[in-house]
Amino acid sequence: MDSKIITKLVEIIGEKYVSTRPDVLLAYSSSASTGYDSIKPDAVVRPGNTEEISRILKIANEYKIPVIARSGGSSLQGEVIPKEGSLVVELMRLADVTLYEDLRSVKVGAGVTFGMLDKFLNKHDLWLPVYPESSLVCTIAGNVAVNGAGPGSSTEGCIAELVLGLEVVLPDGTVIQTGTEASPHVPGPFLRYAFGPDITGLFIGSLGSLGIITNVSVKVTKRMRQFHYETYGFETAEQAEKFLISLKQNDINAVFASIYEGRILNFFMDMLGEEYEIPEHDWPDFTVSITIGRMREDQLTSDVALAAKLCESHGGHVIGIRQLPQGEWDDRMRTFARSSYAHGWHWRILYHHQTPSNWHASVKVIWEVMDEYGLLGHTAGFQTGHSSYNFYPHLYFDPTDKEEEEKVKEAHVELSKRLFKTGAVPFKLAPYWVEGVEEMKDYLNFIKAIKQTLDPNGIMNPGVLGGL
Amino acid sequence: MTDIDLDYLREELLQCRRCGICRNAVYEDKGFDGICPVWKNSSGFETSFMRGKIQVALALLDGELEKTPENAESLFQCTLCGNCTQICAAEFNPAESLEQVRQVLSDIPNVVRDNLVEKIIKYDNPYSEDNTEKRKWIEGLGYSVPTKGNTLYYVGCTAGMRLPDAAVYTSEILKSAGIDFAVLDNEPCCGSVMIRTGKIEDAKTNAEKVEEIIRNSGAERVIVSCAGCLKTLRKDYPEKFGVKLPKTLHILEYAEELIKEGKLRPKKIEEVQVTYHDPCHMGRELGVYESPREVLKAIPGVKFVEMDTIRETAICCGAGGGLRSYDPDLSKNIGASRISEAEETGATIIATACPFCENNLLSGKKLTNSRMEVMDVVELLAKSIR
Repeated sequence: MDSKIITKLVEIIGEKYVSTRPDVLLAYSSSASTGYDSIKPDAVVRPGNTEEISRILKIANEYKIPVIARSGGSSLQGEVIPKEGSLVVELMRLADVTLYEDLRSVKVGAGVTFGMLDKFLNKHDLWLPVYPESSLVCTIAGNVAVNGAGPGSSTEGCIAELVLGLEVVLPDGTVIQTGTEASPHVPGPFLRYAFGPDITGLFIGSLGSLGIITNVSVKVTKRMRQFHYETYGFETAEQAEKFLISLKQNDINAVFASIYEGRILNFFMDMLGEEYEIPEHDWPDFTVSITIGRMREDQLTSDVALAAKLCESHGGHVIGIRQLPQGEWDDRMRTFARSSYAHGWHWRILYHHQTPSNWHASVKVIWEVMDEYGLLGHTAGFQTGHSSYNFYPHLYFDPTDKEEEEKVKEAHVELSKRLFKTGAVPFKLAPYWVEGVEEMKDYLNFIKAIKQTLDPNGIMNPGVLGGL
Repeated sequence: MTDIDLDYLREELLQCRRCGICRNAVYEDKGFDGICPVWKNSSGFETSFMRGKIQVALALLDGELEKTPENAESLFQCTLCGNCTQICAAEFNPAESLEQVRQVLSDIPNVVRDNLVEKIIKYDNPYSEDNTEKRKWIEGLGYSVPTKGNTLYYVGCTAGMRLPDAAVYTSEILKSAGIDFAVLDNEPCCGSVMIRTGKIEDAKTNAEKVEEIIRNSGAERVIVSCAGCLKTLRKDYPEKFGVKLPKTLHILEYAEELIKEGKLRPKKIEEVQVTYHDPCHMGRELGVYESPREVLKAIPGVKFVEMDTIRETAICCGAGGGLRSYDPDLSKNIGASRISEAEETGATIIATACPFCENNLLSGKKLTNSRMEVMDVVELLAKSIR
């Protein structure tokens, strides 16, 4: 990067927070996305506020420098891997939190992690009821940029459902505020769908390719304290799938619900069974693990009783082993870190959503690909929102075995193509989901038009959102 | 014993999946409120916390980064406090691995470290001072202390030469309990900083020298008042060098026993609110969390309060791992941060069990103009048994 640009960056945020050191650039060449090639940026900056970011983007736009916005660095599909000649804008210094207790909302800077916010909200008997499993590392803004989910999402849906507004710095440096806060006269964030179209939604899941999210306003609710943990056994996948759907239809508040097939459950037991003190058990072919949460005890009691009835009506039985769902729930802020280490490999992940009734289709395809390529992995996921199931299958490789790593990359692409045909959809529009997909052509052209309008110089995280 | 299998070390470093939990995890249920004091108190680039340091280490080992002092800087900007190890889910010890990386890459020039090690070799202390100064505090005791005996008080360089009050109070406690003790005539440095900064061969030679001198003293029990000395003598010597010393105890471990046996009977002191800073070497490294707290709680008049981060999750004072010498400003800033955390408890005294921590916390106090009193637990105990 030209030294005069570095000088301008230093003028904006000071020498302390601008780096072109080889060791620093190397450290920003990768993220938690293992299985992706590292690329060093030309410079890294750590701005402290929106105004600085705006000025930085004006310079980047003027000189057509690719910009990679990065916060926790915990994304798993290569979203923040830099490009050649790029500038990484690291956002962890934006750590303000403002609570609007009467509006039941909170505004957080792009450097606030879920763990930080959870501690803050706990003091007010509140919570943000979705916990990405990297909550101790990932920021709310980063999670919004990828439209993530996690424990809590079985009721609440993806993080998008909780967002009330965003502050975004556009590629030309313009700062916009979406939602009610677009008006200077409102008391704070209370409605996302204000002032016309859902501009907030435009930036959710945009992977930093349309602008930099600097502040996020989200809904918060009274902290739930009543929980029941339960496991339910079924002989067929269809029974387990129908059970999950019936929980939704009957308004049972399953904050975290997963289906485990037998071999994956055994795998999980090897990983964390002992630590979670899960007793030995002859598990059925399909186990549904659920945390039911309610604000009031009477509601919880009612839900627990009805869930048992529904289970039996679908041919299942209540297993009664509670340590599995309790372990998952209690460990919800770091399951990502725990599970990623428990089996000793690096991995590629392929996030996608499937309908609960088609849960078996994703599982079938994942196993097929793993078997064909001779890879190890898993098929984990959880129910998400209104009528979806969020899968996050892993494909493992030994980081010292380059051949195996390449094989995982190939299998990963192949898996995305096969999953797409089962009706699965991505919430991160990675290029491999849409390459050569004719049916999506018009939609992608529309996305392209938006990108070109907002970012005519193509500086914002190029190549990440559907290859644009 | 000091050989490191490079392939194994590389495998260990590759255990890191770059999840980043070692940066600033706030995990209320487990007592974490931030992990890395260097990240928090520096410019905060990725190289400031363990995820980045591991990437740098791998790149230096693999030749992807040139072996220059600048490229290796981040490896030394770490207190090796081990807080990241407490939360890391990988099956390796990041702080220990970083210590080994420093050893393997010890050929990369590091003027600060090399000067420090030279001083220890030449003067038997890192302060370039006449080593007999380490016994000077004895002159004010009013009684003689032999150089040989059953119970040896191994004073340590910082207590002996920078904060002699800690040594005076320690001797007062021993004397009050009726324990005769000796102090070496020319006590060598324990060599902790040599180990931490990768000069392992020099550390081994030094350890053998310490062993011989202690053996010649006739000691059957070694008492220390420095957490760094404790970890080095009790853990590093046998594990790294096969050097076994007589039973080595921190004065507060010993004092806890003496209080329970009724040999020390603390009396009421003026009421005061005290919080305790866990030295990393004593807490995370050796699991000694209770003794200092039990001693404090045994002193009538002490109202004991805990900070937000304590025991396994305690934030470091900033002095360890050679950082105090390598990057004094950063080290002192971390000390200041810990002082601020102590202030939040409402305590007026932050007590610790390590002169090296105390020294850095005092620097932190100065930086923040805090009114917080920094002292060693031995001071409170000694004053309560007069």
